[in-house]
Amino acid sequence: MFHKFDLGGVMHELWLAPTVNGYYLRILDGWSGPVAFAEESTGRGSLTVAGTSEAVAFAVDGDVIHIHMRGRTRSLRYVDPLRALASVDGDDGHNVARAPMPGTVVALKVVPGDAVTAGTVLVVIESMKLETQIRASQDGIVERLHVKDGDSFDRDAILVTLSQGN
Amino acid sequence: MAAISFPFETVLIANRGEIAVRIIGSLRKLGLRAAIVYHEVDAATPAVALADVAFKISGRTPVSAYLDAEQIVTAARTVGAGALHPGYGFLSENAGFARAVAAAGIAFIGPSPEAIELMGDKIRARNFVEGNGFPVAPSAIEESDPPTFLARARSIGVPLLVKPSAGGGGKGMRIVRDLDLLEDAVAQARSEGQRYFGDGRLYIERYVEKPRHIEVQVLGDAFGNVVHLFERECSVQRRFQKIIEETPSPALSPQMRQRICETAAGIARAAGYRNAGTVEFIFGGGEFYFLEMNTRLQVEHPVTEMITGVDLVAEQIAIAANRPLSFRQPDISAQGHAIEARLYAESPERGFLPTSGKVLMLDYPHEQGVRVDSGIAQGQSITTAFDPMLAKVIVHAPTRDAAVAKAIRAVQKVVLLGCETNAAFLARVLGDAGFRSGEVHTGYLDENPTIASGIDGDPDEVTGLLAVAALVTRPVRDAADAVPALHAAIGDWRN
Amino acid sequence: MQRIVSLTDTRAQEFRTNDVHNRRLAAELRERQQAARFARPERDLERLRRQNKMFVRDRIQALLDPGTPFLELSTLAGNKAYDNEVPGAAQVVGIGIVSGREVIVHADDASVKGGAWYPLSVKKIVRALDVAIENRLPVVHLCDSAGGFLPLQAEFFADRYYAGRIFRNQSILSKMGVPQVAVVMGHCTAGGAYVPALSDYNIIVRGTGAIFLAGPPLVKAATGEEVSVEELGGADMHTSVSGTGDYFASSEMHALAIARDIVARFNRIPKAAVDHVAPEQPAYDPSELYGIIPKDPRVQFDMREIVARLADGSRFHEYQPRYGQTLVCGFARLHGYQIGILANNGVLFSDSALKGAHFIQLCDKNRTPLLFLQNITGFMVGRDYERRGITKDGAKLIMAVAGAAVPKFTVVCNGSYGAGTYGMSGRAFDPRFMFTWPQSQISVMGAEQAAGVLTDIKAKQLARNGERLSEPQLAAIREPILEDYRERSSAYYATSELWDDGILDPVDTRNALAIALSAALNAPIEAPHYGVFRM
Repeated sequence: MFHKFDLGGVMHELWLAPTVNGYYLRILDGWSGPVAFAEESTGRGSLTVAGTSEAVAFAVDGDVIHIHMRGRTRSLRYVDPLRALASVDGDDGHNVARAPMPGTVVALKVVPGDAVTAGTVLVVIESMKLETQIRASQDGIVERLHVKDGDSFDRDAILVTLSQGN
Repeated sequence: MAAISFPFETVLIANRGEIAVRIIGSLRKLGLRAAIVYHEVDAATPAVALADVAFKISGRTPVSAYLDAEQIVTAARTVGAGALHPGYGFLSENAGFARAVAAAGIAFIGPSPEAIELMGDKIRARNFVEGNGFPVAPSAIEESDPPTFLARARSIGVPLLVKPSAGGGGKGMRIVRDLDLLEDAVAQARSEGQRYFGDGRLYIERYVEKPRHIEVQVLGDAFGNVVHLFERECSVQRRFQKIIEETPSPALSPQMRQRICETAAGIARAAGYRNAGTVEFIFGGGEFYFLEMNTRLQVEHPVTEMITGVDLVAEQIAIAANRPLSFRQPDISAQGHAIEARLYAESPERGFLPTSGKVLMLDYPHEQGVRVDSGIAQGQSITTAFDPMLAKVIVHAPTRDAAVAKAIRAVQKVVLLGCETNAAFLARVLGDAGFRSGEVHTGYLDENPTIASGIDGDPDEVTGLLAVAALVTRPVRDAADAVPALHAAIGDWRN
Repeated sequence: MQRIVSLTDTRAQEFRTNDVHNRRLAAELRERQQAARFARPERDLERLRRQNKMFVRDRIQALLDPGTPFLELSTLAGNKAYDNEVPGAAQVVGIGIVSGREVIVHADDASVKGGAWYPLSVKKIVRALDVAIENRLPVVHLCDSAGGFLPLQAEFFADRYYAGRIFRNQSILSKMGVPQVAVVMGHCTAGGAYVPALSDYNIIVRGTGAIFLAGPPLVKAATGEEVSVEELGGADMHTSVSGTGDYFASSEMHALAIARDIVARFNRIPKAAVDHVAPEQPAYDPSELYGIIPKDPRVQFDMREIVARLADGSRFHEYQPRYGQTLVCGFARLHGYQIGILANNGVLFSDSALKGAHFIQLCDKNRTPLLFLQNITGFMVGRDYERRGITKDGAKLIMAVAGAAVPKFTVVCNGSYGAGTYGMSGRAFDPRFMFTWPQSQISVMGAEQAAGVLTDIKAKQLARNGERLSEPQLAAIREPILEDYRERSSAYYATSELWDDGILDPVDTRNALAIALSAALNAPIEAPHYGVFRM
């Protein structure tokens, strides 16, 4: 089972193996070879890939790795296999409504216990002066509201949890 | 600037972010005390930390706090401020606020309430400018005769631009190239004008194709002296939001430059304008028309400061202290070329989606000719509570080509980890052939969407990113370290 | 330690002949293993897909750490049984790395007869667990079996080392503190239900995994109750109601991810300390083994040439080089680990037997694991030898082999006959792992010899009644015996019956032994002590 990283919505699988004096990286359907990373100060280091070195700045925030190299900043997300594989079939019985972008809650349209059909508006959010309606993706029963009026949230934050309708 | 004394010791800054930091900088230079109002969400920002006094304000939303005139005036009184700088946005062009500040015996660092009102009403401003013999675009103002509005508009001929008269910042504006679509455009613009500005009045004017946005910085003192400090070109825009500004404009011949700048100064003079302001024009096809006047300091003022060596904020404060301008028009000269790129918390690659996050690492380029006006600090959270501008990267170099190259390097050296920004997009715009040749107009980015969406990372870059990620991610590193040396050495072997 | 100087001429005709021959044997081995591992009727693979099940080798691949070796044991079990319709005896067993830990993988191959347990399947599983016990290796069971193959129950049910031994071994492993994880990816019925139940941890896959002592049809027959598979023993019920199941997995990949995460929790205790230095490749190319092993199994060759292609740097410290020269003894390193090697260069005499017994004790005291390279027809016979005590000297060798506490490893390079098999640590003497080469032969005596003896006996029997056998009649007696011996002493027959842990391509021997040795060191090495050496 390979490690998975999400880079800009594309999943990459890789494995890191130890060698006598460092590490060997194998990217599935990609490059393989010796790699090394020397951290010079907090968040700054030198990456060596097959003998060529370059400066890198990085910061780790939970499962997200932010990297600045070659004049650009990119972010990757480490995908925990247990979490990724467990939620493949709808979080065993639960479906969730996530925020498509960061913003604030303008209004909650449901309360726990409400039965909703696919398309029912659950929450109205505001972001950059645009109002957006967050709708249920499938039929279900509102189980829990994770936000209240005026709360701010980040992209992908879970706003509402619903359980499968009977 | 020679040391001068001020009739006030403390200046309250009624703003936030990078402009607040900027203003504090000039206040320090002048030996004045900086006070600031702030909402809770801004508590960890550098402006609050740098100010000598910080006064907490509140509101239903963070933005509403900075729009609360009463609270702010009270704050100014409480901290003993003798002057108030409104920055840009928020209440900076609110005549009522300017009056309230003055009424409280506090010097408003900006123009008179009358000037604000005059230029704030697009229709009044337009009429004033036209009445004083300065060029305006052929237009039809609804108010002058509502029943004939559409007919008058039609007689101007396409292309037309429909605008809410109370508007600004590009909201509610619509381009009409087909007269059959005029009525619909009018209806939509009216409803948006009502929604965003509380005013559904409209006016329609000639739309210049491939227009270039040229604006001129002006300064006026209380003694009737008005100077211009040359122009800025702000044509690199998206949905009427500026992204990159530069001076001098590559579009203008020396004669045209002189004409436009003198026109701007003339308008300011005619209005008896005091303090800093910017006159905006639309330039195209060898013609230029008055667009609007902004009665405040502009976001992109640094490029003017870079080529003239003038500290505009310090001049504003001096003017508000009733000092006369310390220079005349012939004393002002421009050296070299300056470019400013605005760093935003948004993702152009994903449709300019707003982004947020905690600033885990922040580092700006430090080199000769590079200036960064920043409103954020490492460790603070960026939220969608406010406008997403984080910082401005400004460069100065002897020639435009050198400035462009320096700007690209500077933007690539910006390290901001934790919140996605438009830095890569800025580098792409600056490196774009059209930009480099100076042939831009306000629709340029919309016409070239691949600059925003970018190209997919080259495999080499992806390899490097995955390598770093693999080596710094604990589960990956630990899994590698767990494999016994023998088996790692034998590798993927089967008998 | 000095390097062996090879006397092999790689350009000689003999070398080339051997090389062609042995490469062909190696290719044949590869093909037969490939077929046993992968060749399946399309309808069986199609059935797996329909059931939403992964092929067993894909499961194992996902379980193991990428970029690590998998030493598969007894791939060709059952290849001479059941009309060769049960490849691998429907089981896959091997040593692999999961989350950095050495484990035994034991997997039912549901693509073969639904993963049913034949007598040899049971033997393979018992062997896998014996390996786990002897070497203290954690076990990951991938369960997906149709249950015991009832028509042959008399051969796998009742006896001491039949199916019950599987569950006894599981219990003993747990008692020893060696953990097991069972991943239920199919039905675990009747006896099979005990595999997950006796494992310290188990995971059940939603939809396809189930555990019950009797399935719905048997339940209906026994009590009349009608109940679905899910309700009777599905993942949801066992993980939330009965507590028989520890983890609920929504898919096979999910289950394997959980299994990896469980194995990552296992405590890693320090391994037995054996002298170890940085590894070094042999100075001679291991593929030269193909040219060294004689095409004719009756031709003698010098085992030092073999050692030169197995040992690190081809270095070998020979012990008593001038005494007992038919048994080569000495120290070498394998992937850095120091080992003691005993290898046959001819028949065993008293001196070689004594040398061997002495060397074994040296290695035992020195905590040096032992490698036996067999090419032995037996002990010398004859009056002089008996007078000089060859029988009791052979007994001393056997006593030393049996008593040695250090891990032993055996490779049958060529012939393995009679008491020589025993003296050189054959299967009965608990080498931790035993491998053979494709051309190897194992039997109580050579085919010709046996045929000769038996024909002789028959002829004498008939002669008492006054009958005499003609040449053709003698041949008619001799031929079937020869045929039977040849058939049932071949490497393929031996491995089919699980008399060893697998046939190796000679060039794979180094890696296989290194992995085996590393696995063996998970068990502590007891203090040396022996029975009585008949002096």
